Amino acid sequence: MYVFRVSTVVVNGSCRGRAAVIDDYISFFGEVDPERGVHRVRGKRVADRVLVFRGSRGSTVGSYIIYSMKKNGKSPICFIVSRVDPVLVAGAVLAEIPLLVVEDFDSLISTVDDGDLVEYCSEGGVIRVYKT
Amino acid sequence: MFLTREQEKILAGEYGWARSKALEVIVKVGEALGAERLIEVEHAHVSGISYTNIGDAGLELVQDFYRGRAYARVYTTLNPGCVDLLSYSQIVDNRYRDKQLILNRYLEAMGFRPTYTCIPYLHRKPGPGEHLSWGESSAVIFANSLFGSRTNREGGPLALSSAITGYTYYYGLHLLENRVVEVSIAVEAKNKCYGALGLWIGYNVKSIPMIRGVSNDISGLKLMLAASAASGDHGLIVIEGVTPAKSYIVSDKVEKMYVEDRDLEEYIGVEPSENDKVLGYIGCPHLDPREFFELVDKIRSRGKSAKRDRDLLVSIPAVYSNLFIDEIHELKRYGVDVAVGTCPIVSKLREKYDYLVTNSGKAAFYMSRLHGLNTYIASIDRVLEIVFGG
Repeated sequence: MYVFRVSTVVVNGSCRGRAAVIDDYISFFGEVDPERGVHRVRGKRVADRVLVFRGSRGSTVGSYIIYSMKKNGKSPICFIVSRVDPVLVAGAVLAEIPLLVVEDFDSLISTVDDGDLVEYCSEGGVIRVYKT
Repeated sequence: MFLTREQEKILAGEYGWARSKALEVIVKVGEALGAERLIEVEHAHVSGISYTNIGDAGLELVQDFYRGRAYARVYTTLNPGCVDLLSYSQIVDNRYRDKQLILNRYLEAMGFRPTYTCIPYLHRKPGPGEHLSWGESSAVIFANSLFGSRTNREGGPLALSSAITGYTYYYGLHLLENRVVEVSIAVEAKNKCYGALGLWIGYNVKSIPMIRGVSNDISGLKLMLAASAASGDHGLIVIEGVTPAKSYIVSDKVEKMYVEDRDLEEYIGVEPSENDKVLGYIGCPHLDPREFFELVDKIRSRGKSAKRDRDLLVSIPAVYSNLFIDEIHELKRYGVDVAVGTCPIVSKLREKYDYLVTNSGKAAFYMSRLHGLNTYIASIDRVLEIVFGG
């Protein structure tokens, strides 16, 4: 088990699930299909996953896409990022998806792989990663 | 973040889900940026309401706010949607008409004004020092730079949240201490191509500039500001002799830059050839009444219709569909396509063109990307010459 400190809890909530890792910034508008819950560029499923990625970029329509994924039942269960921007924050708040900023993101992303179990307890202060 | 007792009550849901959710968006975005408190705004301008851009995702959110009994707490205007509200346009594709009209109905039922324009200052001119929550980058930079008002460049969901709550986060360009000029730009170019000048500023200047050597021609400045807010992330450009005093400060250390004719060439582009299928476009940002009448006069005095493989599109605010219906019909007789309450940046086009010829740097910037067009930026007279012949 690996433990990583959460520096900022932007949207709170507990979560536990399998990781989907994208070592890049995501433009939710264009790059994510809100009907299937898939990151188009990587062809990777993000629905029902703990999405570990650097942050969001691009159009403000991205907030609406995050909201739409949630309404379609195809959203990630948690966002774990290195930094936040207004598009991601607005989307996570509207969709009520936990959004956590990790202090040492580089070591998190070099540790966690797709399918690893990731766990966060509300206000717990740390993310736990269990390798599979 | 510090919140008043009233704001705490809104957040706790005492006034319903919609206002609570909207305020939470503002508080969380503000906290993420480091804001310490909220401020009241006088006017919200909601962008990101084109169905072409936001799709069912945006429609659903607006619908949920409407069903959650959200209502405008402040004067709120709306940006262009993706359909020509008069349905005359043969150039703008009205395929999403039904969806856009549903979206419009929800927005208007929440008390937002059906302005459908990117020049909200046509409907309500903001005062100096007044706090606003505006989306639409070209309107934001116009409000900050020409009126001395205070607004950040907001995205659609944030401005929508401000409309519903009356607040925004106190940060960025709302504070005088962040409205600091750090670059002085002397415009030495003789060709006053404001669209290209704006693109140059957006690409080459990263901090807040003061511009010297441009006229106080508001239409030209509007083109310049819109272009710089498209190619860069500018929210304020101080224009010597125009921007109200006390709405900005000048740093002790000001870097000097110059811009000459040859710097603008790459942004102006190359004229189309006779064989290209050309879309002439005027109205980005939307035309104010004086600009519209001047254009009508110019077209009338030419007295002829567009050449083969040449079209002219003019985009104007929704309110003109009543006010200036005679002029719109007159333009139609010359084969000019007038689109009301929309523009080609937030909509789809019916036909493919090779070239865009426009006076707008912003239109050139987006339409080369969205519609894959070659672009040429020229004066209105030159655009008309290319479309109608010399």
